[in-house]
Amino acid sequence: MRWTDPAAVTSACLLSATLAACGGGGHAATGPDTTGTGVRLVASVEVPANYGQHDQFLRAGLAFLCSWNTGLQIYDVGDGRAGGSPQHPVFISRIVTAGGEVHNAWWYWAPDGQKRYVFVGQEGPGAIGSSSSGDIHVVDISDLSAPVDVASYHLAGAGSHNFWVDEANQVLYAAYYNGGVVALDVSGTLSGDLAGREIARIQPGGPGNTYVWGVMLVDGSLYATDMLSGLWQLAPASGSLQVRGGGNNVPDRYGSDLWVANGYAYSGTWGSRAGVLGDAVKIWKLGPTGAPSLQDSIVTPGFTTVSDVTASSDGRMLVFSAEFGPKAGLYFYSLATDPGHPAFIAYYPVIGNSQNGIHTATIADFGGRRYVFAAQDPPSPAMLILDVTAISP
Amino acid sequence: MEGASGCRRLVGAAAALAVATATVARLHAQEMVGVQVTPVLTRADPVPGGSTRTELRLNAPLLFGSLRLAGGRLVLHAMLNGEGWTMPHGQLATGNFGEGWEDRRHPHTWAHELIAAATDLVALPGGVHWSLTAGKGFAPYGTDDPMNRPALIFPVDHHWSQILERAILILGVRRGALLVEGGIFNGDEPERFSQWPNWQRFGDSWSARAHLLPTRGVELQASYAHVKSPENRPGAGLWHQKVSVSARLERAAGAGHLYGLAEWAFNSEADGFFKYYAGLAEAQWSHGADRVYARLERSDRPEEERVFGDPFRSNRPHLENSNLGITRWTIATAGYGRRLTPAHLPLRMEAIGEAACARARALTGLFDVASYFGRNDLWQFSVALRIGAGTSPHRMGRYGVAAGMAPTMARAHAMD
Repeated sequence: MRWTDPAAVTSACLLSATLAACGGGGHAATGPDTTGTGVRLVASVEVPANYGQHDQFLRAGLAFLCSWNTGLQIYDVGDGRAGGSPQHPVFISRIVTAGGEVHNAWWYWAPDGQKRYVFVGQEGPGAIGSSSSGDIHVVDISDLSAPVDVASYHLAGAGSHNFWVDEANQVLYAAYYNGGVVALDVSGTLSGDLAGREIARIQPGGPGNTYVWGVMLVDGSLYATDMLSGLWQLAPASGSLQVRGGGNNVPDRYGSDLWVANGYAYSGTWGSRAGVLGDAVKIWKLGPTGAPSLQDSIVTPGFTTVSDVTASSDGRMLVFSAEFGPKAGLYFYSLATDPGHPAFIAYYPVIGNSQNGIHTATIADFGGRRYVFAAQDPPSPAMLILDVTAISP
Repeated sequence: MEGASGCRRLVGAAAALAVATATVARLHAQEMVGVQVTPVLTRADPVPGGSTRTELRLNAPLLFGSLRLAGGRLVLHAMLNGEGWTMPHGQLATGNFGEGWEDRRHPHTWAHELIAAATDLVALPGGVHWSLTAGKGFAPYGTDDPMNRPALIFPVDHHWSQILERAILILGVRRGALLVEGGIFNGDEPERFSQWPNWQRFGDSWSARAHLLPTRGVELQASYAHVKSPENRPGAGLWHQKVSVSARLERAAGAGHLYGLAEWAFNSEADGFFKYYAGLAEAQWSHGADRVYARLERSDRPEEERVFGDPFRSNRPHLENSNLGITRWTIATAGYGRRLTPAHLPLRMEAIGEAACARARALTGLFDVASYFGRNDLWQFSVALRIGAGTSPHRMGRYGVAAGMAPTMARAHAMD
């Protein structure tokens, strides 16, 4: 276990001239790196405090902003059709799916080349650890300027959370909190009630011990992080999501998000479990069968939750977001030398102006530069766009 | 007190109280203005984290008054509350919740009530009286504010049984023993003591309340409220649907005076996804300078993630619509008060002692009471000196025709 001390970086930021450069602004702002971190804020897209910005999905120059009751917002950030760029995001359209509470999205590229559907997760009310609500919505963006909510999936007694889509096999995997993990067939035309599209479902920890946050399919295994019962290795839908390994392996903290890269899994932690805060990222070695075994941890005192974990497409950079505390913000690590023991690169604080931190972060590469799109929490909700090229390993 | 700044506040409050008392004493003859403050020493064992904590607070420093104009057809009420000054970090109150506070009672906003109530501006036939009330105060819902009731420490159900500190517009109609009120207001509750209602949200919430007085001293109440997003000020939070029913008794009992209240409340959020129930019974018997009281309560509350480094605060505004679960609190409270000053003096003082024992259990979610507090028998002891001068506070939340109908509890905090 290693401990990160970003205090020096924080001090540099607090002494800097502009709060926006420290991520505390929330207004459109660009400028040089005044944090001393090598991270440069190039744009900030304000989002109405309704409740605010929750997540974003980036693909081929389009940004799908999951802006809760403001809905799913589509921006050109490099696609070119509207002249947008990371420095100048251009709004294209917006849709509020039924019930609002737009939590996450995935723009689905089908094997036949169709790029028609965006899957949208609705996060409804829940009692963490025991109940949840919210449906999966399918938005047809055939006309990008006029998206339409065309289908939905409802699981009684549970609500959806994060997705992973096996595009080659046309299967949507959805974390479903107390409902476990659900696999849906998303082939062909999608419309109406998708209940008949359910392929498989599992509560990996069993009833009362299942509250799945996120899933990710890698090398034929579906990895699922459960807030209560840790990191699981499951078979894909073709194997009925049966448990292959892991589970009940994070008793010290509640689990949160995960990412898998380079033969390792990186899982976040959440909230307070018997007084132990979710200030850790667990690093798991995936064995020959893909089964996870704990290798290391990054513990960073000063916040309550690691709310998102992601790695760059080349597997060389790890980013996690942190919320609620004096050290909230974004953390950057290098996986280039030893992915089993990530090396600290930089901390980008988001703590000024009573900010709660960053809820989610997404890495995207455009035009030879690397950006992180980050959902800044209220009271000044926004999607921050950060140029991190200078610190990319 | 809360450190050195708290001591300065104590001295300042004492000076302000002295000035206010002198002023109030002059106005007392007109029964217009009153002032009141209650230093309270509270020991909670345990508090979140398992330790014991003892705190002194200047509770409810109030400057209040009513002005009757046009022969009483227009009444202005004002109550200024200095808790943002004397107890900005709240008051120990195990089990309490609301407005971003947990196991502490929140400080009230500076302007607790600023009300204008017009009654019978146009006379109606058939013994029907009506009133129109506007300003900042209580929505027509539920029972009396705990500040108007016997115990020192607020009950858990405060935010299930009252809707306070809103911008309100109320129509009240009364005929004989029946009173009906309907009102609109802003759904947002304050996030801090310096905050005013979100005027842009005025009218997004409504409530209705009916009172029936079947016999003298007995009051039956039923009310319903539809409140938009109280916990997310911009308006993105869940709707609350609230129900309150109560029976209230106040009458002479032998040589003394008896007060009693039984109330039940239900709060539904997200069309019943979250359901909270509350039941409370309290009674007080007073005789001469002495009063004894007791309260038994069983109320549910939401558990929310606490702020980093402060186990007594939760995040505002809410981000998502989830909580850590629901806990059910059972609390027994008993207390005794003795007036220390002769009744005829303009300055009044009362010594109060109170003890409470609470137990809580989780109904849903992952919040574990025993691990959070270290154990599950939660005690709280308070001693206080209530100081007041001038007139007594009116019965808060009863405006216009409701003010004329409802009796005032004679031996509660007002020390009349």
